[in-house]
Amino acid sequence: MDVWRLLPFRKADAAENMAVDEAIFRESIRRKVSPTLRFYGWLTPVVSIGYFQDARREIDIEGCRRLGIGLVRRPTGGKAVLHDQELTYAVVASPEQSHFPPDILRTYRVISNCLARGLSGIGIRAELKAEGRSPAGESLRTSCFSTPSRYELLVNGRKLCGSSQMRSHGAFLQHGALLMAFDPQRTCAVMLPHRELEKQAARLAESVTTVGELTGGSVDEPALCRSLREGFEQELGIRFEEGGLTAEEEALSRELMAKKYRNDNWNWEGSQSWMSGF
Amino acid sequence: MKLIPEDLLYSREHVWVRVEGDLATIGVTDYAQEKLGEIISLDLPEADSYVERDEPFGSIESAKAVVELISPVSGVVISVNEDITDDIGIVNSDPHDTGWMIIVEMDDQEELDDLLDTRGYQEFLIQETEAD
Repeated sequence: MDVWRLLPFRKADAAENMAVDEAIFRESIRRKVSPTLRFYGWLTPVVSIGYFQDARREIDIEGCRRLGIGLVRRPTGGKAVLHDQELTYAVVASPEQSHFPPDILRTYRVISNCLARGLSGIGIRAELKAEGRSPAGESLRTSCFSTPSRYELLVNGRKLCGSSQMRSHGAFLQHGALLMAFDPQRTCAVMLPHRELEKQAARLAESVTTVGELTGGSVDEPALCRSLREGFEQELGIRFEEGGLTAEEEALSRELMAKKYRNDNWNWEGSQSWMSGF
Repeated sequence: MKLIPEDLLYSREHVWVRVEGDLATIGVTDYAQEKLGEIISLDLPEADSYVERDEPFGSIESAKAVVELISPVSGVVISVNEDITDDIGIVNSDPHDTGWMIIVEMDDQEELDDLLDTRGYQEFLIQETEAD
């Protein structure tokens, strides 16, 4: 039976969260370590944007400042997410891991199946979206939660989890937000374009559901982590050992934090203004 | 059936190379574009920048995934295909020709020895599909 590393739930700031995910991913390419599942939360509310998003066109900078919400650019693709009351997961695996097919969509499917199985343990019946669809009408296209993509998790047609990936040398990092609670007004207040905010917020509220709503608030982050862990174990036939970061991952995450994820050039301007070198 | 033209070399990272003297024209293979699906964003190096073998020379986004493009050779980028930054769909529709990405003046042509010919790449794809 394959043994994976589990990094237990911990809250950190945005730069640390992204730096740790990327450090694990980079080290998995270099050292071919066993796959990792990591759970984390956010110390303060933060908007994360996708690698290719235009922060100045898609995020209301003043709105963020007014509400005390930070900004970080992810290494992965996709749209903006307001991280507040949520459980974030990250999975990292290298090409030797036979559980994962070598392409993007089927990797989403495998991980969504694991998450769905875990959610069933707390009584949530989530299903995988068969086909992606485009945002319609007043939908806030900037937001990850405005529309489900293929193989993302829905409950009664409403999105519960938004995920994105990064791939290199056959390895991948997939991380995603499982909402514990959701505030559509705040989400709309920090994402552009503003267009009939109340309508946008109402449409977003209709398209999103949360663990809190589905369980009547009876499940907290530790309970959700336990259930998701079991979902991965049962779906993939693996077991987890709890662990920490290696010395190399620690050192690289500190470097990434300082040079990349606390760097306004990366967070605001993106890839054109920042060369990796890692 | 994947297109694997005879006049190109291929990396195991699904990048093709057309060699003319010490110049290497580089792009992603038909197999890669098919696996990626519709490409929606692309990030390429600027002319005069330096790329290193086995290191990323750019990134591509499809299906909410950022995929790093791995350079098969080291050298200075002497040209970048501006047409594909204006119309990214070309990478999907014509990956081996008008969908080229960069031209690199190679430091060391011996780096080409590690690349695969058409037959070798075909066999590599079969292995990758079987392992899948």
